[in-house]
Amino acid sequence: MTEPGTAATRLPDYVVRRPAGFYRSANPGTKLAVAAVEVVAAFLLPGWLGPAVVLAAVLATAAIARRLRGLATIGLAASPLIGSILLINLFLLPGASDPIARLGPLAPTWSGLWFGFETTARLLAFSSAVALVYLTTAVDDLLADLSRRGLGRRATFVVGAAVQMVPLTMARAGEILDAQRARGMDTEGRFWRRARGVLPLAAPVVFGALTEVEERSMALEARAFSAPGRQTLLRIPADSPADRALRWAALLALAALIGLRVSGRLG
Amino acid sequence: MAIELSTVRYRYAGASVLALQSIDLRLEPGQVVGVVGANEAGKSTLCLVASGFAPRVVGGRLEGSAQIDGVETTALRPHELAQRCGLLFQNAATQLSTTTASVFEEVSFGPCNLGLPVPEVVERAWWALRAVGIEELAARDPARLSGGEGQLVALASVLALRPRYLILDEPTSELDPAGTRLVADALVRVVAETGAGILIVEHKTDVLERIADRVVVLERGAVALAGEAAPTLADPRLAELGVEPPARVRLERGVRASGVPWSDRLAEAVR
Amino acid sequence: MRLRASSRSVAGAPSIEFEAVSFAYPDGTQALAGVSLRIEPGEVVAIVGQNGSGKSTLVRHLNGLLRPVSGRVLLDGADIRPVHVARLAARVGLAFQNPDRQLFAGRVSAEVEFGPCNLGIRGMELAERVRGALEDVGLAGMASANPYDLGYSRRKLLALASVLAMRTPVLVLDEPTTGQDARGVARVQDVVARAAAEGRTVIAVSHDMRFVAECCRRVVVMRAGRVALDGAPSAVFGEAAWPELRAAHLEPPLPAVAGARLGLGATATEAVFVAALNGPGGTRGRT
Repeated sequence: MTEPGTAATRLPDYVVRRPAGFYRSANPGTKLAVAAVEVVAAFLLPGWLGPAVVLAAVLATAAIARRLRGLATIGLAASPLIGSILLINLFLLPGASDPIARLGPLAPTWSGLWFGFETTARLLAFSSAVALVYLTTAVDDLLADLSRRGLGRRATFVVGAAVQMVPLTMARAGEILDAQRARGMDTEGRFWRRARGVLPLAAPVVFGALTEVEERSMALEARAFSAPGRQTLLRIPADSPADRALRWAALLALAALIGLRVSGRLG
Repeated sequence: MAIELSTVRYRYAGASVLALQSIDLRLEPGQVVGVVGANEAGKSTLCLVASGFAPRVVGGRLEGSAQIDGVETTALRPHELAQRCGLLFQNAATQLSTTTASVFEEVSFGPCNLGLPVPEVVERAWWALRAVGIEELAARDPARLSGGEGQLVALASVLALRPRYLILDEPTSELDPAGTRLVADALVRVVAETGAGILIVEHKTDVLERIADRVVVLERGAVALAGEAAPTLADPRLAELGVEPPARVRLERGVRASGVPWSDRLAEAVR
Repeated sequence: MRLRASSRSVAGAPSIEFEAVSFAYPDGTQALAGVSLRIEPGEVVAIVGQNGSGKSTLVRHLNGLLRPVSGRVLLDGADIRPVHVARLAARVGLAFQNPDRQLFAGRVSAEVEFGPCNLGIRGMELAERVRGALEDVGLAGMASANPYDLGYSRRKLLALASVLAMRTPVLVLDEPTTGQDARGVARVQDVVARAAAEGRTVIAVSHDMRFVAECCRRVVVMRAGRVALDGAPSAVFGEAAWPELRAAHLEPPLPAVAGARLGLGATATEAVFVAALNGPGGTRGRT
């Protein structure tokens, strides 16, 4: 333990925490810029080769950053959507006339298959690029970086609080459900009985939310939230020359992609 | 140097009825004033008016004079009010900013909002944590605190703005006996360490018996009784005003009523 | 038309048994660690303990809101696991601590009708129950008021009335006196006394040791998910139990402390203390 004298002026280590690891330690702004390029590339590059390249880049980054399992989980969650898009295109692509086989009334087509691959590749590339940012960046760090770049305190607060409010609101809704069930409201029986439960569940949730918003905003005022000027930031995420270079490269690539597309060179 | 309410009448926005009828109240630094009364007697409204949050933050109409250190509360902006008078509520969880990962950052929230330089923010945070006696909680996650600990963190985070006065609206009502003791001890410590003046609304008159210098009893928006803590809490009119006297007072009353003479020995036993 | 004279009495209360009940929340917190407890019909029991000791978790097993991870909960000897919460609500009424997590109707009478309606009560019987419940909690003239116009004390009493109207043989109250002023506490004490007189089993979870000592005939002290003490208030608040009480982060009520200091035996309430002072071992005639 440090003596009281030194503690009185030192910012504790756990506040200044810096994430470690490849890509995870990169500046959040950098990661956002890279993701922006990847998302735009996924949509502007022609065919399915382009998106596939982007996907490969994202997967490679995730692998080195040791976040592959998280990415796989998200991919798994998205697989029903991906699968259904593939199937829809395979069987129902309008104007396709090159069937692979005939299965009664259904006729999967080659064009459908290629188009399906293309669409799903784009979707996977786009969503995995966004997911990578989420998997390698803490919300606190992201908000701190955005604050430094000028995002106002209200916007920062709303995002940060929203993240925490979800479990709180769910807990409150759970309690309300319990209270109404304890008064005999049927939640396990026939559907029409359960339909009667909308108001007894919705009303306390809504009123509770309104009251809570009122209480929370008073607590914020009591902590000088509406003071003018810039908020002091205790933590500023690290930013290195490599980060800056990467951000410039990303912005240039973005400009190039859009320029090429607009001028018709990307087909 | 005081919070001074003179013939204050207050009505909430859109209300036809006065919430406060005519209040005269004075709170000086270093004093602890307890406020009791039946529910809906106006205790919460008194907290909002004395801190200036009514009408500045919640609206409504104020008549009469509500001054903090000689300045009318209506002339101050909310963040200026917050630096003169801290305000705390019943529920510890809703007072958290929910945007911080450690108690230290939570307590720094106020000073950061003021835009103070980092060294000053840090100094104020440690000062507030020490004044409340919770330095060992500094690294904890604010979302995982017990009710009592949460109230102490709320107290420290308001204290970090260095107000001269603190107003607490039923801070222990949702706490278990251990949490209540924690908060009561912390308030005694804060007064000693910082010289703040405290106005505290409480149903638990045992707590007030322990920490309050004066007690004010509200009824229907007006002051029904006021005076030094011990005699006021022993006043026989408390029951009809909807207030439960402290256990010690009840016991003494019961003993005397049964005809047994009161003695020093008995007084010592019920201490 | 006169209603049946015994319309206020309640169908026989069941016996309640916890058989080695253990429960852990989904996030892993162990809330109950093998609780075995038997409550006979008509008992008035207080469950006390620090926040986190398991008291609220325990009573939520009584109406099926929570199901044991191991062990059984029995009503009249029958395991309640296969019974839906909605059906158990007819036998076990649970009044929650926070009324605002429950009130939803635009009229007080509609709020009180909700419970009995769910149990299939209609017509004159329903009206009588609503009237009776509102009278019991002191809200007799407020049937057409809007619940949100009532102050916190009365909202809490309204929530209690809505459970009373269900006329359940077992009545469970979760922190009925927190946030209540003196009149509210007195009302709650009346409700408990009346329910006990009607033969119902009453179980109250509470922090208020005075309320517990005065209203309840049996006190169960919980600590870290287990029963630490179980007995009459005089036993649980008696000097011999103080170390265990303090380990559970509780303090005995002042009459018990004063009685111990004066050597008067177990005096858990003011009335008992005063009686003991006047009795043979007391201080009458001594200074």
